[in-house]
Amino acid sequence: MKFKNGIQEQDVIVKCAADKFLPFALVFGIYVILFGTVSPGGGFQGGVIVASACLLLYLGYGVRGAADAINAEVLRVNEAIGACIYVILGVAGILCGCNFAANVFYDIGAVGDLISAGTITFMSYAVGYKVLTGVGFLLLLMLGLLAAADDDDETPAGENE
Amino acid sequence: MKAKRAAGLVALVVILVIGLYTASYTYANVPLTYDGSDVDVTRLYEEPGSYDVSDPDGIADIIVKTDLEKTMSVNDVASIVFDYRGYDTLGESFILLTAIAGSFVILSKSAEKKSKGGDEK
Repeated sequence: MKFKNGIQEQDVIVKCAADKFLPFALVFGIYVILFGTVSPGGGFQGGVIVASACLLLYLGYGVRGAADAINAEVLRVNEAIGACIYVILGVAGILCGCNFAANVFYDIGAVGDLISAGTITFMSYAVGYKVLTGVGFLLLLMLGLLAAADDDDETPAGENE
Repeated sequence: MKAKRAAGLVALVVILVIGLYTASYTYANVPLTYDGSDVDVTRLYEEPGSYDVSDPDGIADIIVKTDLEKTMSVNDVASIVFDYRGYDTLGESFILLTAIAGSFVILSKSAEKKSKGGDEK
């Protein structure tokens, strides 16, 4: 067992709570992203909610667990992909003869449906994906820095793996 | 160096002239939608429930009344963020991209330095 500032790290209660809350956090965040165009919320907020699931992993399993569960390189690449999707959807308005980010195929679906508002819906998804991956990557980066600082403090010279 | 500076100065002057022209054109030709002169601020602060919201004025009027037929989006905020102000959201998300790229450079460098320092000790 690891101790830090007198508090037992990776306590079984904290681990169980993280296990129980992780699915709810993920489902709620994905719900907020998906229903951004028909209910309060949106891509940005939902993405941050999903990314904060990283912190639950960190609380339960420490930096190692979070870094093992999530591949940071994949997140870094996927953030750029999300940004590209947003730009492509915005340029689609220009290609159809309107202004940037014009709502070019707005007449799909009925009003109030999940996919109903044309490019607004898909832009919301793109921003959600981008924020999810970007903020998740940022959190992992900061947690890695925390882990490096902890290793420096705790392990004496020569005992680093 | 001097030519560079002169080019920068010319660019700034051009931007200033365009801005002034736009401001004067807007002032002269575009009708004023909302200037807030009809709102009694003291009364609004003291009893916000009494503010008449049945007939919004200015840009709120346009958006609330024509949003559904223009964008088919039930959520007016989403339609503003991703349609009317698409450029704004683009810049916003690229600010996030830039911030994450910058912190990636700085934090990964300092993490390397820290682990190296630990090894040397």
